[in-house]
Amino acid sequence: MHFDTSTAKLLDDRQEWLRFSQQHKPTSLQGSDDCWDSHVVIQGMHCAACSFTVEEALMSVPGVQSAEVNAATHRAKVVWSAARVNPSEWMAAIAKAGYGALPAADTSLRQARHEEGRRALWRWLVAGFCMMQVMMYAYPAYVSREGDITPDMVFLLRWASWVLTLPVVLFSCGPFLGNALRDVRARRVSMDLPVALGMAITFLLSSAATFEPNGLFGGEVYYDSLTMFVFFLLTGRWLELRVRDRTAGALEALMNRLPDSVERQLSNGEFERVAVRRVLVGDVIRVLPSESFPADGVILQGQTLADEALLTGESHPQARGVGDSVVAGSHNLSGIVTVRVLQVGEGTQFSQIVSLMENASLQKPRLAQLADRIAKPFLIGVLVLAALSAVWWWSTSPSHALMVAVAVLVVTCPCALSLATPAAMLAAAGNLARHGVLLRNLQALEALAEIDTLIFDKTGTLTQDGQHVTQIITADGIAPEYALGLAAALAKHSLHPLSRALVQAHNVCASDAAFEVQDVNEMIGQGLQGHLNGRLRLGSATFCAPKAKGIPEQAAFCQVHLCSENEWLASWRLSEDIRTDAAQTVRALKDLNIDVWLLSGDRPESAQQVAQQVGIAHAVGACTPQDKLARMQSAQSQGARVAMVGDGLNDGPVLAGAHVSMAFGNAVPLAQSKSDFVLMGGSLLVVAQSVKLARHTLRVVRQNLIWAAAYNALCVPLAVAGLLPAWLAGLGMALSSLWVVLNSLRLTKGF
Amino acid sequence: MDILYLLIPLSVLLVICILGGLWWAIDKGQFDSVEQEGERILRDD
Repeated sequence: MHFDTSTAKLLDDRQEWLRFSQQHKPTSLQGSDDCWDSHVVIQGMHCAACSFTVEEALMSVPGVQSAEVNAATHRAKVVWSAARVNPSEWMAAIAKAGYGALPAADTSLRQARHEEGRRALWRWLVAGFCMMQVMMYAYPAYVSREGDITPDMVFLLRWASWVLTLPVVLFSCGPFLGNALRDVRARRVSMDLPVALGMAITFLLSSAATFEPNGLFGGEVYYDSLTMFVFFLLTGRWLELRVRDRTAGALEALMNRLPDSVERQLSNGEFERVAVRRVLVGDVIRVLPSESFPADGVILQGQTLADEALLTGESHPQARGVGDSVVAGSHNLSGIVTVRVLQVGEGTQFSQIVSLMENASLQKPRLAQLADRIAKPFLIGVLVLAALSAVWWWSTSPSHALMVAVAVLVVTCPCALSLATPAAMLAAAGNLARHGVLLRNLQALEALAEIDTLIFDKTGTLTQDGQHVTQIITADGIAPEYALGLAAALAKHSLHPLSRALVQAHNVCASDAAFEVQDVNEMIGQGLQGHLNGRLRLGSATFCAPKAKGIPEQAAFCQVHLCSENEWLASWRLSEDIRTDAAQTVRALKDLNIDVWLLSGDRPESAQQVAQQVGIAHAVGACTPQDKLARMQSAQSQGARVAMVGDGLNDGPVLAGAHVSMAFGNAVPLAQSKSDFVLMGGSLLVVAQSVKLARHTLRVVRQNLIWAAAYNALCVPLAVAGLLPAWLAGLGMALSSLWVVLNSLRLTKGF
Repeated sequence: MDILYLLIPLSVLLVICILGGLWWAIDKGQFDSVEQEGERILRDD
């Protein structure tokens, strides 16, 4: 792999490497402040064994603290200390191991992918055309009887086959042979080695037969077998690449969603196009239709529809006008808008989502680790088996013996085994991401598939953050609209949910009772106070009452009261909004044979009330987080597999104690969220759908593993027995890994 | 039958020529996006 030192040196500039790096969050105390997580794409990787090699190469560089490489996505995460090593040094280590490294989220990455696609197509076409023509030359030898063709003609046909096989071996097989050579030099075994050995043996054997028909290996040629199995292998790889791009593409699409450049306003009001990474907080930018928003901000001018589907799973475009906020990574659909930037780079919600997903796609699920561990002994076993079968058949004829060995080498397919788990799980993770469910680790999919009990938190989970006014009681002679107008004038200065509900109610009834209250201040947890022809207080009964004559009996059940200096004016009763899809979700979960519980910290009556409305039989109120944890643990000790769904705000320990946890992404900054799944949208129904998809995923993983194991168990003995010609072996191998990827592709559809 | 001694080498050349043509087409980017030509009619520019 070509390594350009001068380009890599450029990456040592802090500005440059910040683009693909993030401050490392130490998991233990030993991590220093100057550690960075960098994401790079590894080029030239073909199998799980390669990821070990790259990891080892990286770990040998002093200053690199850890390295994780994903064989399925070809992405690597490197944790390194800026004080001790430069990016160019660890990139050089990757190059020395025989691979290439490109910073992720870089335009050169797209370029490289493009080139790779073209070359793969070209390799495939060369193999295909040469195969067809070689077939033609082989045909006479199959159908003719002894003496039909003159020896001259036989030699001419073989010579023509040899000429057309040459580009197939030298060019189309290039990646297989190149990788195998690199592995042999580094004294290690990889998945390309058996295949490359098979190709080399067949070509050398046939060449010997062509140019020296009376030699040790006889006069049989196998050009047709060779070109055919190369063609099948390349077809398999080519389709696999396209399919994998589609599955990993959902993640990729999300990660590469930020534009490269944007129009920024200069001091004279003109706009100039600058690179997105030069945009700072406070800049004013102009975003054109069909561009993506490069940063979080608020609209200053213009109106548009924004597509936030990839961020929230909300499939309908959202109307955004002056004063509304827009988020980085969402798509501007209709109008030209100017936006004041409030948050750039790492601070944006988008970048938190991306780092979450990058980390998730890097993790190796348990089943994949198992497959990786057995890959190496498996490969060595194949090589030994091929050698043994060659020795066994040697006495019949050396050329037949070698072709049996070739069939054994080609037919075994460790690829199917190592792709089985990651392919399926990444497809599922991509599908979930499209519907606004982010996955923190792939292992959680397995855990979610196995749950039989699901615990809901109430506030913020079954119910929305918002509340609405259900009842209003006013003092004699005061119109409800007038009281609401006064209350809203006070409440608009507060962010408390009850205040926001009052403002909302005021906006909805659209009365013209609008007031301007002076000197408003908020007593946290009690209420608001301000001046409008004397003092006004809005809040809890104890906060309002001392100055007034007391709150009348009939208003005692209300949560919010409005009082003037010495008189009670009005009271409101508010109740929580139950999410519209809560009942449907509970039904769907019961259909999946999942026991649904409600554990709430709220009053038992309100917990019961909500539980009744959504159809949960088992509801307990007035639970402290410790109570919740204790109840969950007692269920777990009886063998239940428990999932916990909360808002992630105040049920942290309970979420951590569950087998698998889900939380809404709007309550807590994503980076601090500890749950396995993060629900970005407001829909609760995705909980049930995620469980369904997780179960489906696990089924697909099992099918893949069983298929891969059964295929190898069946075909290897056939090949050893000499019953499998080399071309059929090539077809079998290509089909088996393709089958695994296609089977996984089913997970990208349906939700 | 003697003509085969000419035709077989010619067929090898022909395959090489076809491959040359394909290389040109790939290099010009004709296979980069198969949907591109169909979508072009819908674009403004």
